[in-house]
Amino acid sequence: MTKTFRSSRTAILFIMPALLFIMFFVFLPIVLNLYNSLFRWNSFEAGRVFVGLEYYGRLFKDPIFFTALKNNSLYAVISLVFQVGLGLIIAAVLEDKLIRRFQPFFRTVFFIPSVISIAVVGLLWQLLYNPEVGLVNGVLKAIGQSEWALSWLGDSKTAIYAVVAVSQWQYTGYMTMLFLLAMQKIPFEYYEASMIDGASKIKTFIYITLPQMKEMILVGTVITVIGAFKVFDEVYVMTNGGPGHSTEVLGTMLYRAAFRNDEMGYASTIGTIIFVITLTLSLIQLKIGKSGQEA
Amino acid sequence: MRTKINVLFAVLLVFALVLTGCSSSSSTNEESGKVVLKFLHKWPQPEYAPYFEEVVKAFEKENPDIKIKMEAIADEPIKDKLRVILGGKEVPDIMFSWSGEFARKFVRANAALDLTPYLNEDTAWKNSFIPASLQPFTSNDKNYGIPLRFNGKFFVYNKKIFDKYQLQAPTTWDEFLQVLETLKKGGETPIILGNQSPWAAIHYLTGLNQKLVAQDVRMKDYNPKTGEFTDPGYVTAMHMLADLNKKGYFMKNVNSSSHDMGQQLFAAGKGAIFYVELEEFQTIENNMKGNWGFFPMPSIEDGKGSQSFITGAPDGFIVSSKTKHPKEAIKFLKFLTSQDNALKLVKQIGWPSPIDGATNPDTALKEVAEGVDYMKKAEGMAEWLDTDVHAKVADVYLSNIQLLLDGSKSPEEIIKEVQDVAKQVQSEVE
Repeated sequence: MTKTFRSSRTAILFIMPALLFIMFFVFLPIVLNLYNSLFRWNSFEAGRVFVGLEYYGRLFKDPIFFTALKNNSLYAVISLVFQVGLGLIIAAVLEDKLIRRFQPFFRTVFFIPSVISIAVVGLLWQLLYNPEVGLVNGVLKAIGQSEWALSWLGDSKTAIYAVVAVSQWQYTGYMTMLFLLAMQKIPFEYYEASMIDGASKIKTFIYITLPQMKEMILVGTVITVIGAFKVFDEVYVMTNGGPGHSTEVLGTMLYRAAFRNDEMGYASTIGTIIFVITLTLSLIQLKIGKSGQEA
Repeated sequence: MRTKINVLFAVLLVFALVLTGCSSSSSTNEESGKVVLKFLHKWPQPEYAPYFEEVVKAFEKENPDIKIKMEAIADEPIKDKLRVILGGKEVPDIMFSWSGEFARKFVRANAALDLTPYLNEDTAWKNSFIPASLQPFTSNDKNYGIPLRFNGKFFVYNKKIFDKYQLQAPTTWDEFLQVLETLKKGGETPIILGNQSPWAAIHYLTGLNQKLVAQDVRMKDYNPKTGEFTDPGYVTAMHMLADLNKKGYFMKNVNSSSHDMGQQLFAAGKGAIFYVELEEFQTIENNMKGNWGFFPMPSIEDGKGSQSFITGAPDGFIVSSKTKHPKEAIKFLKFLTSQDNALKLVKQIGWPSPIDGATNPDTALKEVAEGVDYMKKAEGMAEWLDTDVHAKVADVYLSNIQLLLDGSKSPEEIIKEVQDVAKQVQSEVE
């Protein structure tokens, strides 16, 4: 009795600093943010005006909010397909016996984009997408598809896809890397057994690799989807939400409210909504995966 | 057991100390008896920064008891940073601000110091400014800002291309359209516009709004407390801008080209006309070597606003209301805007100075001096639309102007949104 009591004391002692840190720097700001969203205020004026839930009402009537929500969802779906789906396939291909000896080379090549800073990537792609001098249209024209040479970031119809594509370019390699690590942890005996049973490579992938990697796929999905709802920098650097509001995401909408329109209360409201969305999504995903052991 | 609790307390205490340590304000203000002034401007670029470094050095030499801590944040980020900095504890004593509503919102928040007494005290200083350059920094007849530059917006044109089609600089909008039509028929790109950052097109609208809407109506609408934007002139202004695009007078891909790229295209002779600020004249001269001329926005025949306004505004500095050293701050501003330093500004970086007489053909580029003359003779200035109206109204204008140009929104739809936001703003500004 005393022993367990003692050790739990020690445990609390060890947890304390981290717990306090999280309290101060994560939970307290969340609560404060909720409180701040009830006032009309800005960063440089002293007074605040209590407005209650007015901003929440306004948010759900704001057409830009729905554009942002749509764009974030688009981000999430496309990222799932490419980063998780394609990433998984690339990882499986790289793990194949035939290609494995080139794996370090491909791994590095695919991983490199994710170590470049977002600001650099944004400017780089802005140039690549440039309709006059950019590489994208240059290649399209060179292969005779000049009707596809669009004003990628300047047209409100194509801009969001152009921005999402950059994220895929950047992070698919990162996901591939995570999946490769998980694949290498799968005991080789399983594959031997399936080989003896005469399973094809695709069947081996579906019946052995995928179930064994369930945890990692779940983690990958959670990271990607939550990332898609928190996205800010790519959009900010490349289009800043434009043309018009066609590439507005929740992050840029929040930024615009806070630092351009001097509506910190509205920005806090958007922040709260982002929090609710990401929390709900991760709860659902953990529920589906039934655990988060490796997360 | 007891020791454990003590240890727990000790850990908590250390932690609390660390936390409070973070929040306590540092007291770096007085360094060995010197007065330290914090000075924030927006020109970190290598072609402009040396001017400020040299002026600061000269000032410190003259005033050994004052130390200037200078910081520079570039044009786009300073719009956000200023708001955040002003809310913090370590507010710079002197900081950059655009004139008009941009400065007035800081005045409304009591963040800017009233400079009227200092100007009235030293009438020689006050009278050294071109009056039109001080006026946009006023609010309720009080001065809150000291201008550093006096900037105007003009159309520059490629002389070779104009000569090829025997064209003259237009003075009326109809002539302007004829010039554009001729250029287009000749296979030239009539106007270069880089609207990736939408202020570029907003500058067109700045002038058009002013020329089409009666002055008192426009001033009432630009005031956040009384703005309605119901005058039909606002819609007409947008139609006129959209028409320039529809008729194919603007270059292709305006929304994905930057203004800087536009400058390069103009320098390469790939377009006939380009809408630029006076401060860019020097760069254009460097690139074009005399092969260019300029004209102000042409007058519009049935426009209700005054036709002899020039689009443009001064920008300069405001002093924080929280400053502990207002006298020293004013001393520095006087030094910065002295005749000598104004001449240096004009000569070294080619900016138009608001100091009367500083920008003349001897010191400045001939065209810059002429531009300043235009502004001195003008009946008034149409200040930048995106800094002259409330931030939220400006945001609606800025984000929709790209959609107007790519054809996905009509002028009527946009003005409706402007009206709605103006109404909202009215209810929020006391």
